[in-house]
Amino acid sequence: MLYAENILFTAVMLIYFAAMIFFFVFVAVKKDLIAKIGVLLLCAGLLLHTAALVCRGIGAGRLPMTNQYEFAASFAWGLCLVSLVFILKFKFPMLGVFAAPVIFLVIGYAAMQSREVRALMPALQSRWLGFHVATAIISYGAFGVSFVISLIFLLRERMKDQGFFDLHTPKREKLDLISYRSVCLGLLFLTFTIVTGAIWAQRAWGSYWSWDPKETWSLVTWLVYAVYLHLRIRRGWRGKSAAIFAVAGFVCVIFTYIGVNTLLPGIHSYA
Amino acid sequence: MLKKFWKFVSSMKFAITLLVLLALACAAGSFLTQHQSYEWYASRYSERTAAVIYALGLDDVYHSLWFLILTAALCCNLLFCNLLRIRPLIRKTKEFSDPQTLRSSPAAHAEITQRPQAVFEALHFPKPKEIEQNTEKALFSKRNGIGIWGAWICHFGILLLILGFALGQTTGVEYAVYGVAGQTKPIADTGYLLTIDDFRIGLNEDDTVSQYTASLTVSDGKNGEAQSAQVSVNDPASLFGYQFYQNSTGWAADVSIRKSGALLQQETLCAGESLAVRDLPSLALCFNAFYPDFVMIEGKGPSTASGKLLNPAYLYSLYYGDELIGMNALLSGEVITVDDYEIRFSNPQNYTVIQIKRDRFTPLALLGGLITMIGLILAFYLPPKRLLAIPDPSGYSLIGQSLKGGLLFSEQLSAAVKEVSGQSDP
Ligand code: HEM
Repeated sequence: MLYAENILFTAVMLIYFAAMIFFFVFVAVKKDLIAKIGVLLLCAGLLLHTAALVCRGIGAGRLPMTNQYEFAASFAWGLCLVSLVFILKFKFPMLGVFAAPVIFLVIGYAAMQSREVRALMPALQSRWLGFHVATAIISYGAFGVSFVISLIFLLRERMKDQGFFDLHTPKREKLDLISYRSVCLGLLFLTFTIVTGAIWAQRAWGSYWSWDPKETWSLVTWLVYAVYLHLRIRRGWRGKSAAIFAVAGFVCVIFTYIGVNTLLPGIHSYA
Repeated sequence: MLKKFWKFVSSMKFAITLLVLLALACAAGSFLTQHQSYEWYASRYSERTAAVIYALGLDDVYHSLWFLILTAALCCNLLFCNLLRIRPLIRKTKEFSDPQTLRSSPAAHAEITQRPQAVFEALHFPKPKEIEQNTEKALFSKRNGIGIWGAWICHFGILLLILGFALGQTTGVEYAVYGVAGQTKPIADTGYLLTIDDFRIGLNEDDTVSQYTASLTVSDGKNGEAQSAQVSVNDPASLFGYQFYQNSTGWAADVSIRKSGALLQQETLCAGESLAVRDLPSLALCFNAFYPDFVMIEGKGPSTASGKLLNPAYLYSLYYGDELIGMNALLSGEVITVDDYEIRFSNPQNYTVIQIKRDRFTPLALLGGLITMIGLILAFYLPPKRLLAIPDPSGYSLIGQSLKGGLLFSEQLSAAVKEVSGQSDP
């Protein structure tokens, strides 16, 4: 099973790489068909990626989400899934141009981690861990998409030659709306992540909230996006201000994911 | 004046300010190492910084007065905001059911020549009702009305969550008892006794730990009533209303002291504990550390090569009064001799640390969390929508509204009209 996973994983990396190249070519030659191939490649990549994760899960005898390699691989999977949902739902292949490199980067990061299957330490043997990590992946993926869309929005504001861009990205209002929608998805799943994490911590450490840095930073991220939602309602912060805020919010997400592990001490240091 | 204050306290402006301040406070608390002494901060930073840290309570941000005040202010804000919004939301819910109000609200418009029902169906509305509109029979349907209450429910959940957490923090109790299998110890001043019947460490094939499991019996000191359970990491037990957790482990050993050959005392000592000699209390033994597979590493000192009991060694120090009179790593079978006294270590074994907690408000916090999630789902994924079809000379005029994402809804409406018209015009 793990052998199959290895082969699938390599194939997935190549496919994501190819998708990225197709999206770049699409920007260069401006042919819709090429973007379509890119989207199809992302779909194929996602399918094989799912198979790879299933193989890993069966091979390791547990959910494949417990060390840096597995989490990064799953994170790339979540990014790809959420991006595809938004690409297809909003007929928005341009999203792929920005999402594919991010997906490739994350899976590349996964490839650099150790793939050894290790036995789980007792604190990690919990089914709540599965829910916790799975919801975190969707949440990070959704915030990632809102980040990418906000970047597109800001780029569009700046670009002088807008013909191609205008043709292939939705209207400004719609971009803003899609970004808002993905923040909503991200915030909902971040809430799931925090609640399932709290339930797990309660069972493993006897305390559902102990202000450990990772917990604290997920709360900071949660608060930042709550502020984003309220600013939209109260001050009508749409468009540019909202996009800048969404970019800043994603910096918090990345800090929670990587910065906390490397810069701050805490019990989450294995995740 | 009072009215102004009330208005501010329940305003969203205040809410945003508080949320930003709380986020900043949380971030600050994660960057600055918490719970250290004044001296620690002074040596790490400077005297002056340490003074500022202590004056502002930054050594324990999350329990400092100002953090509590911020949280309490957020609760008041949420509470007042939610109380004030009840009536407007009831009004909004009523208006939402009233098709008349659609004409005066911003809405999406479309025209269709026939089969308006199909548009309702395509947009997943429930079967439309016939209503009188200026003597004409119009069609009206709505869905997701409950979504109007999403944010309110979410805020209510957050309030419960904070309340549950705060009550738990103030009324909850927590103790720790440690010991080896066979020992019975009191649980602080609760009147209960904890017996560790058994403690096992399961190993994987590669010698990493698979699980720590303790069998416990708790008895009521007054009437002797007893309850037993097994606890392991991630699988706590509830006895007499307290939660018992397998928390951590360490090494213990039996210490025997002989005087002129006769056994004077024998006790089980956990690493870190000390023991005074019974008939000479100023002579004390401290069991500093235990190495199951002892090795001496140059430049690093005593260490253990593995977790297995291959070459056990006991690091001890001996005091006479305040004076350190001996310190060494003792291997199995070796003896410490002080005048007539002989001290031996034997039978190394693992002790367990059992954490004991009671927090009656955890379920309230959990309920708050669940309600928050439900509120978010309602607010984000059940956007209230309604659609009205009024007959006009060329067919039907459609007026639709989504209280959220109006742009998308008007696109969906035109797409649905196009699809339905396409089907009916051959
Ligand atoms: C503690 C963090 C908070 C969270 C996570 C939160 C969450 C939310 C959410 C998810 C929405 C719906 C937004 C949307 O649909 O786009 C919302 C709306 C709203 N929030 Fe909050 N909120 C918080 C605190 C507060 C506070 C303290 C107030 C007090 C004034 C407040 C007042 C409002 C109001 C007035 C609305 C609009 C309600 C509506 O559209 O019916 N929120 N909030």
